[in-house]
Amino acid sequence: MTQQENNADESPLVRIRGLRFRRGSRWIFDGLDIDIPRGRVTAIMGPSGTGKTTLLKLIGGQLRPDAGSIEVDGQNVHALSTPELYRLRMRMGMLFQSGALLTDMSVYDNVAFPLREHTRLTESMIRKLVLLKLEAVGLRGARGLMPSELSGGMARRVALARAIALDPMMIMYDEPFTGQDPISMGVLVQLIRRLNDASRITSVLVSHDVAETLAISDLVYVISDGRVVESGTPEHLQHSGGEWTRQFIQGLPDGPVPFHFPAPGLREDLLEAAP
Amino acid sequence: MTHLLAQLGAWGLNGMARLGRAHLLLLPLLRGLLSILRRPRLLLDQLYSVGVLTILIITVAGLFVGMVLGLQGYYILSRFGGETALGLMVAASLVRELGPVLTALLFAGRAGSALTAEIGLMKATEQLSGLEMMAVNPQHRVLAPRFFAGIISVPLLAALFSMLGVAGGWMVGGGLLGVDQGAFWNGMQEGIDFSDDVINGVIKSVVFGFVCTWIAIFQGYDCVPTSEGVSRATTRTVVHSSLAVLGLDFVLTAMMFG
Ligand SMILES: Nc1ncnc2c1ncn2[C@@H]1O[C@H](COP(=O)(O)OP(=O)(O)OP(=O)(O)O)[C@@H](O)[C@H]1O
Ligand SMILES: [Mg+2]
Repeated sequence: MTQQENNADESPLVRIRGLRFRRGSRWIFDGLDIDIPRGRVTAIMGPSGTGKTTLLKLIGGQLRPDAGSIEVDGQNVHALSTPELYRLRMRMGMLFQSGALLTDMSVYDNVAFPLREHTRLTESMIRKLVLLKLEAVGLRGARGLMPSELSGGMARRVALARAIALDPMMIMYDEPFTGQDPISMGVLVQLIRRLNDASRITSVLVSHDVAETLAISDLVYVISDGRVVESGTPEHLQHSGGEWTRQFIQGLPDGPVPFHFPAPGLREDLLEAAP
Repeated sequence: MTHLLAQLGAWGLNGMARLGRAHLLLLPLLRGLLSILRRPRLLLDQLYSVGVLTILIITVAGLFVGMVLGLQGYYILSRFGGETALGLMVAASLVRELGPVLTALLFAGRAGSALTAEIGLMKATEQLSGLEMMAVNPQHRVLAPRFFAGIISVPLLAALFSMLGVAGGWMVGGGLLGVDQGAFWNGMQEGIDFSDDVINGVIKSVVFGFVCTWIAIFQGYDCVPTSEGVSRATTRTVVHSSLAVLGLDFVLTAMMFG
């Protein structure tokens, strides 16, 4: 290991500074600062529609911030040339909320896809790797199915197998637990933890499932209204968190967290004449 | 009034922006040629779904158009006692005009719309984003093979169309109406000039193939990623391709034969 990599080991893998991002006239992020440490599970939580998926897309370089910087492994994502960005993405895995499997290929070919695109492995090597990855998510038996024949939860697990196919340095999980039964949820929780501990993969986890998320993450960021509201270890958040965080984590209906998308009062809206 | 003007302006600006994006897409499409050369398999798969699957409709349409040409041509030519020119008339109209134009229109309806819908749905279901995050450029991996498959397929399909059209014309003229066979083929052989007629027809069909596939791929890639957006984009593909083919046909004809 070189001197530089040694130093890099202590710096955060992802460093977000002063991030501002706008959709139309609405600021989704307004001065967001986040550090994602190496080799840990970092959870990003927040109410639906706060921009968690958007944040992952910004980190992956699919969206461009209006201001601020995002560095991944010391490289400013949005200052990279296209080939450099693609080289960086090869080391990032992303699990899409929808799975995003290629619908014209079988489960097997979907998991083999990144291997075939980016490595020169023989088909027999690829076969071994694909079966191992599918085994890890419990779907080795489903390798012959087409994506249209999978349930939502199965599709997401196949997508996870695909995301880890190239053994990336970082995986971003967008809602991995949605639509999983308690057993596969438990398996997924263990899998994410194991990937992290055994291979020292950095994990970024976006989820609403408070209990599971707090159970496996080392560090939690709670975001709302385009800013970090609270951050710290799960214990810290559960015990000494502010009013906002306590309401969010315990899922209480009353408190400072708004359930509604910004809107005028219900009364005015109802009384207003139809256009 | 000002509202109308503003709407007209917005519509014009939108159209211009879209035209600009379509041209910007050409560069990565052409660059995708490199990845196709490295992996010809990608192109072969698309040649099948874009080209081979369009053969049936081209076959049927070519035969019928040729038969109608034979009938109509015979009635007009026989008024002047010129039935012997039937072969030339059928072949010339097919090779110069009907072959390339009708093939392109049928291609836009059958393959172009399918391309737009496929790419649009891949966008709507985040498959294109997924490819990007897997460090695979969808413009090279998904769009370029389809683009070149279209450019290669249309001239071949147009040739098939013209060939079957001539066969259809001959079946009606020679078989049904009793035009002299020797005169039919002889007139065609003497009257059709290779560089003037055949090459120009091929140039037309290459241009049409390029434009139709380009429109189809751009509309799919640029669509609003919802069911409604995909359906609108598919309609636009067929409408824009048809208008572009007919308009370009006039321009090309004027340049070639004028
Ligand atoms: N393509 C788009 N165009 C305009 N606005 C968008 C678009 N995509 C998302 N938004 C807006 O950005 C905000 C953040 O969306 P995002 O998908 O990042 O939310 P999220 O935190 O992932 O929510 P969830 O937990 O429900 O998945 C939403 O309020 C949405 O209205
Ligand atoms: Mg989301």
